[in-house]
Amino acid sequence: MAGGKLIMPLAAAAPAQACDTSRGRRFRVRGTWLLLLAPIAAFDAILFLTPLGTLVSSSMQNQAYQRVLEDPLVIKSLINTFEISAVSTLVTIVSGYLLAWAIWRSSALTRVVLFALVLLPFWTGVLVKNFAWAVLLQDNGLVNDALQGLGFTDHPLTLLHNRFAVVLGMVHYLLPYAVFPIFAALAAIDNRLELAARSLGAGELSVFRRVILPLTVPGVSAAGLLVFIISTGFFITPVVLGGPGDQMIANQIDFYTMELTDFAGASALALVLTAIVSVLVAVYQRILRAGGAHEVG
Amino acid sequence: MRSASSRFSPALLAAVPVFVFLVVPTAIVVPMAFNHSRYITFPPDRFSTDAVTGFFGDTAWISAVLASLQAAGIAVVLAVLLGGAAAVALHGRQFPGRSAVTGVILAPMIVPAVVLALAFYQFFNSVGLVGTILPIGLAHAVIATPYAFLTVRASLSGLNPALVRSAQSLGAGTPSVARFVYLPVIRPGLVAGALFAFSVSIDETVIALFLQSPSATTLPVKMFTDIQYNLTPKIAVSSAMLVTVATLGLLVQVLFMLRRRSIARMLPLTTVAADQTG
Repeated sequence: MAGGKLIMPLAAAAPAQACDTSRGRRFRVRGTWLLLLAPIAAFDAILFLTPLGTLVSSSMQNQAYQRVLEDPLVIKSLINTFEISAVSTLVTIVSGYLLAWAIWRSSALTRVVLFALVLLPFWTGVLVKNFAWAVLLQDNGLVNDALQGLGFTDHPLTLLHNRFAVVLGMVHYLLPYAVFPIFAALAAIDNRLELAARSLGAGELSVFRRVILPLTVPGVSAAGLLVFIISTGFFITPVVLGGPGDQMIANQIDFYTMELTDFAGASALALVLTAIVSVLVAVYQRILRAGGAHEVG
Repeated sequence: MRSASSRFSPALLAAVPVFVFLVVPTAIVVPMAFNHSRYITFPPDRFSTDAVTGFFGDTAWISAVLASLQAAGIAVVLAVLLGGAAAVALHGRQFPGRSAVTGVILAPMIVPAVVLALAFYQFFNSVGLVGTILPIGLAHAVIATPYAFLTVRASLSGLNPALVRSAQSLGAGTPSVARFVYLPVIRPGLVAGALFAFSVSIDETVIALFLQSPSATTLPVKMFTDIQYNLTPKIAVSSAMLVTVATLGLLVQVLFMLRRRSIARMLPLTTVAADQTG
């Protein structure tokens, strides 16, 4: 967040330089890029950094942090957030690996089709997905009909408004975020390594276990962390697909704001969430750099 | 690229159900919009267009669509102008604090949506800017700008720096360089950025929920409120509309991928913590 201060002096310095410099041509080039940067500097300063500043100052009132962190409901939602995010991340990574593997093993044209299948849900908003899951999982929904039709059960199972539904909805949302980095890790593998392993007599399973899996570990851990980071901020899915016991930290922020109208408490909670996410993002970027992958931020 | 050595393997077979899981929820939404029943089920018992005509005759839903389009319009224009300009400004330029500047530009992607929602809620209340679609559009512009910045930055990676220098040595002024050197190179990035910005804004729910008022309720907010009480065909109609928008975005992206003959170039964008809260 400190970077905002850096932009402003740079942008503010632009007109001053126009008067000082006598080397016109050099200024023209320098001045242009600062003028291009000035609008976003002003915009982010007013509409991004100032609101965050409002949040920070609001959280300082009425011993908000202490109050919030002693609230059993907040503790419960923190535990929920951690548990639900961990389970969702695990399921997402395993199934995401399968998808990435299938795409990697496909021919060029099939690849585009399979990528499109992953990208369609990526472009679709969370409410559409949650709505579809709510319809599929309801008592007389397709999933229950299928389970009864196949003879797994003789009465409709309660699949909605519980943790199972939340994890299912979250995994569905998170899968594309796992597939892309894992695919990138797979695509980076020199396929001579696999040929060498095979020529030495390794079967499919041992090629995977001893060559490919170790080489994709950095990509997989980056993907896992990314997915976990996104999980911690979920708000809509726990409301639509979850029950009262599945509410996460974001829902608690909403509760403090809209129901309790305790803005200090809500702000404190929001900053706790931001702190957790910031630490995870820092670790994530460290992993990416260590793995020699592209920098994201 | 690997050669097409698609051997049969159990692992590939295991991926099939996961692909089905991924696609089915999106695919069922469109037929549900044509369900005859008042209660929503899949598959529909009988097809009819009642829900669609009902949707377009319902002023609450139509004003939600219009509110969403207005917010998205503000977000797209601001995101493309601000993000695009910033990407051009930072292109190939080294200076102290460069990574901090980039960090601030990209930061809105990383801050959880609910945190931004609360920050905007308090901020816009304190400056007295509430009750219209403007604060929602501005807030969406904040979260959409990083996308436009990244798409334009990605398209600039194809720009040969010698081109700018040779244009200048031939006497081209800044406007000519912008018009004839930069614009052709960044145009695909601007289009992709606009598309991403539109998609981010049209689906965004949490911030719009916090900033909503009776006169400024966006489509996802209306859907969110209605889903909690009743699953109705009108929600299916609006879902089908959003899926149509998503499909268009997807088609454009696939065209980009095919034209560049490289999927990898689109990957960095999608792997960034695109934190549109679920």
